Amino acid sequence: MVGGFEQAVLAAMIFVIMLGMGAALTPRDFALAIKRPYAMLIGLVSQYGFLPLIGLGLALALPVADPVKIGIVVMSCMPGGTTSNIFTYFAKGNLALSVLMTINSTIVGVIAIPILVVASLAVLTATGNLEVVVPTQNIVLTLVLLLAPVLIGLALRKWNANVGALVELVGGALGIIFIVLLLVTWVPRNWGFLTETPPVVFLGVISLGLLGFLAGYLFSMALKLGRWNAQTIAMEVGIQNGPLAIAIVVFTFVGPLAPLQQQVLAVPALYSLFIVISATMLTLWFRRTNAADDQKMPNALL
Amino acid sequence: MNMHAAPSGGVTGAIGDIASEAARRFGAKTAYTVVMPNGMYGKLTFEDVDRLSDDFAVYLRERCGLAAGDRVALQTPNCLAFPVAALGILKAGCVLVNTNPLYTADEMERQFADAGISAIVIVDMFADKLADVASRMPLKHIIVSSVSEFMPRAVGGVIRLVQRFWDRSLPPVTIPHERFAAALREGGEIRKARGVTVSGYTAGMGPDALACLQYTGGTTGVSKGAMLTHGNILANIAQGETCFAGNMRPGEEVMLTALPLYHILAFTANFLMFHKAGANNILIPNPRPISNLKRAFENHNITWMTGVNTLFNALNNEFWFAESPPKTLRGAVAGGMALQQAVAERFKAITGADVFEGYGLTETSPIVTFNAPGKARPGSIGLPMGATEVALFDDEGRSVPDGEPGELAVKGPQVMKGYWNKPEETAKAIRAGWFLTGDIATRDADGYLRIVDRKKDMILVSGFNVYPNEVEDVIARHPGVLECAVIGMPDGASGEAVAAYVVPRDGSLTADALREHCKAHLTGYKTPRSVTFRETLPKSNVGKILRKDLRAEVLAGK
Repeated sequence: MVGGFEQAVLAAMIFVIMLGMGAALTPRDFALAIKRPYAMLIGLVSQYGFLPLIGLGLALALPVADPVKIGIVVMSCMPGGTTSNIFTYFAKGNLALSVLMTINSTIVGVIAIPILVVASLAVLTATGNLEVVVPTQNIVLTLVLLLAPVLIGLALRKWNANVGALVELVGGALGIIFIVLLLVTWVPRNWGFLTETPPVVFLGVISLGLLGFLAGYLFSMALKLGRWNAQTIAMEVGIQNGPLAIAIVVFTFVGPLAPLQQQVLAVPALYSLFIVISATMLTLWFRRTNAADDQKMPNALL
Repeated sequence: MNMHAAPSGGVTGAIGDIASEAARRFGAKTAYTVVMPNGMYGKLTFEDVDRLSDDFAVYLRERCGLAAGDRVALQTPNCLAFPVAALGILKAGCVLVNTNPLYTADEMERQFADAGISAIVIVDMFADKLADVASRMPLKHIIVSSVSEFMPRAVGGVIRLVQRFWDRSLPPVTIPHERFAAALREGGEIRKARGVTVSGYTAGMGPDALACLQYTGGTTGVSKGAMLTHGNILANIAQGETCFAGNMRPGEEVMLTALPLYHILAFTANFLMFHKAGANNILIPNPRPISNLKRAFENHNITWMTGVNTLFNALNNEFWFAESPPKTLRGAVAGGMALQQAVAERFKAITGADVFEGYGLTETSPIVTFNAPGKARPGSIGLPMGATEVALFDDEGRSVPDGEPGELAVKGPQVMKGYWNKPEETAKAIRAGWFLTGDIATRDADGYLRIVDRKKDMILVSGFNVYPNEVEDVIARHPGVLECAVIGMPDGASGEAVAAYVVPRDGSLTADALREHCKAHLTGYKTPRSVTFRETLPKSNVGKILRKDLRAEVLAGK
C-alpha cells in the first residue's frame, strides 16, 4: 500500500504540520478546553458510542461482502485521526479541543477498540472469538507524532512569537500540501480498488464519514455546546485514524484469517480517500460560517 | 483666563524632546511593538526611536530642504514607521498633517492642497493613490514606508510576500519616491558627516509654534485643519499625567494601540503620553476583524488600552476575549464617542478593569474632561482637566444653572489656535475666548459633567427635547441588542419622532419586546415610535455611529 520511505515522509510532514498547530495555540487554550471536560466527554461518547453503532448499522444494512462489513465495523471503532486537527485548524474551529480529543480517543482506544470490534463482529457474524490486536507501537507513534510537535510548537511560540508565527505558517502551508498530496497520490496507488469496488461499498465508506460528522454535530448541539465546539467535535468524530485501522487489520487478520486481509483493507483505503474529500468540503463550509460570524467593524479602523 | 497669555499652561519645549528624554530614561527598553494578526511582530527601543527620528528630521531639513513650519503629511496605519516619522517631522520643526490612510485620492488632494504640504510619508499599501493625486497637484517629496518596516528581515519578507501575493495589497508605486529606510540612512549619514544637532531645529520655537494640522469635520461638517501647537499637545499630556498620577508606572506599562494613531486620541494619549512614560506601545495595524487583536492579547501582557465604545463592545462579544480575558489589564480609556454604561459594565465584569471615560475633541488636543482613576463617576465624562475652564451656555450665550442642559464651552491650554486658513470658521468656533464644542452637557453640583448629546442630533418631539444618547443607552441595555442608533424622523403630528435602528445579537429579538423594554425605562415621548432592525449601522473611521449618515440613508430610502 504505502512504502516505508513514503511512510517516513508522511510522518515527517505530519510532525511539521503538528508543530505549526502547536504554535497556533497557547497553554491557555488547552486550559480552557480542560476546564469544560464535558465537551471532551461528548466527543468520546460520540467517537466510541455513536460511531460504532453507525458502523454496525451500515454493515448490517448494506448488501456488501463480509470482509467489507468487517472493514466498516473496524473503521467505525477507530479513534480520531491527526488530519482532524488540520481540518479543524483551517475551519477556524476549536483547535485545542480537537487536539485533546484526538489524544483522548487514541489513549482510550487501547481498551475500547478490541472490545468494540469484538462485540460488533459478534453481532455481525455471531462468532465472537476473534483476537483483535491493537499494535501499541502505532498507538505510541500516533501519540508521539501528536504530542511532541504540539508541545514543541507551544514552546517555540512562547519563546519567540515570530518563530511561532513562521512555524504556524509553514505548518499550515504544508497541511494544504499534505491534503492535496493524499488526494493526488491516492488515486494511482489504489486504482485497482476504484475500478473493482462495487458502488454500494462506496456508499458504505462515504456514509460512515458523513454520518460521523452528523452524529458528532447533532449530539453536541443537543447538549448546547455551541456551534463552534459542535463543528470541532463533528470533525473529530467523522475523521477516523485510517492508518491505525490498516495496522490493526494487518496484525489481526493473520493465520487462517489472512485470506480476508486484502478485502478488509479495501475499506480503510477507500475511507481515507473519501474522508479527505468530504472533510475538505465541510471545512470550507464551516470556515465560511465562522468568517461570516466575524463582527462587522468600521471600515477605516485601519 | 486669556489663553494667549498663558498658551502652554506652564509647559515648555517641543514635542520632539519627549523622544530624547525617553531615550535617556528608558534607553534599550522596547518602546513600540507592531503585532500582526498572526502574532508576527517587530519592535523598536526608545533609543532606536530617538535616533531614527533624528535621522528623519535631518533628512527632511538637509536633504529635502524643508524649513520650520513646512507641512508634512503622514499617511500610514499603525506600524513602527509612524512614531519615527511623526517624531522626525516634529523634531525638524515641521508641521505634521495626520492623514487617514483609507482616504480616497479626492480626499487626499483636498486635504493636501488645503494644508499646502511639502512632503508626504505614505505607506506602500496605499501609495498607488498618489499617482492620481500627483497628476492634479505638485508633490515634491514622496517617502514610502511599509507596515513591515523595522521588522526582522525574515518576518518582514514573509509579510511582504503575503501582502503581495495573498492579500494583493501591495500595488506598484509608479511615481518617483524614496523608500523610508533609504531616507533614514541618508539622514543618518548627513547627520554624522555634518555633525547636525537636531534639537537646534526647534530651539528657537516657542510653545505657540504649530505642531499638527489635525483635520476634522468639526461642528459644521466642513473638513478643516485644527491648528494644534507644541504647547497645546504638551499641555494636554501634562494634564493627562495629572489624571493618571500613581496609576502609570514609568517604564512598566504595556499599552494596546488598536485605534489609529492618526486620530488625535491615540496620537496624544497612546503615542506621546505613554511614550513619555516609557510604556511599550503595542501597535495594531488593522483591528478588523476584531479577532486580529487575539494574538496581541495572548502574546503581550497588556496593562492599558484605549478604545471607543464600538471597540469595547466588539471585544465583549468575542468569545476568546470573554473566555480568557487579559489578566494583566489594569484599566482602559474610552473616548471618541459616548461610552454606553452597559458596555463598560460588561467589560469590567469580563476583565475586572475599569473603563475610564473621557471627553474631548480634535480642537482640544483632545482631552477636556476625564474620569480619573479613583474619581470616576459612571455615566459622566468626569471633571475638567487641570487649568481648564468649562461653561455651559444657552442659545443666547447665557450660562445655564447646574443640572440644566447647555452647550459646553472650553477654555484651556489645550484649545487649538484656530482652523488653518479658515478665519471665519475659527470665529464661529471660538467666541470671546471660549471654544464652543457643539455638545449639549449638564453639570452636577460638584462639577461632574454629563454629555447629553450633540447639539445637532437633538430630536424635538412636540416641543420636548429628546437626546438620542439617552435612548440609545436604554436600548443597548437590552441583552438582545448588539448595536443601536436613534435619530429623529420627520413626523406630521409631533414635528419629529424618535426612530430606533437596531442591530440584533441574534434572531430572537422582536420590535415589541424592545419597545416594552424602552417603555419601562423612558418617558412616553422618548420611547421610540419605530424600531427597525438592520444588519449594520454607518460608522466613522473610529467606529463612531454616524446618525447623520443613517438619517440620510433612511430618508433616501423612503
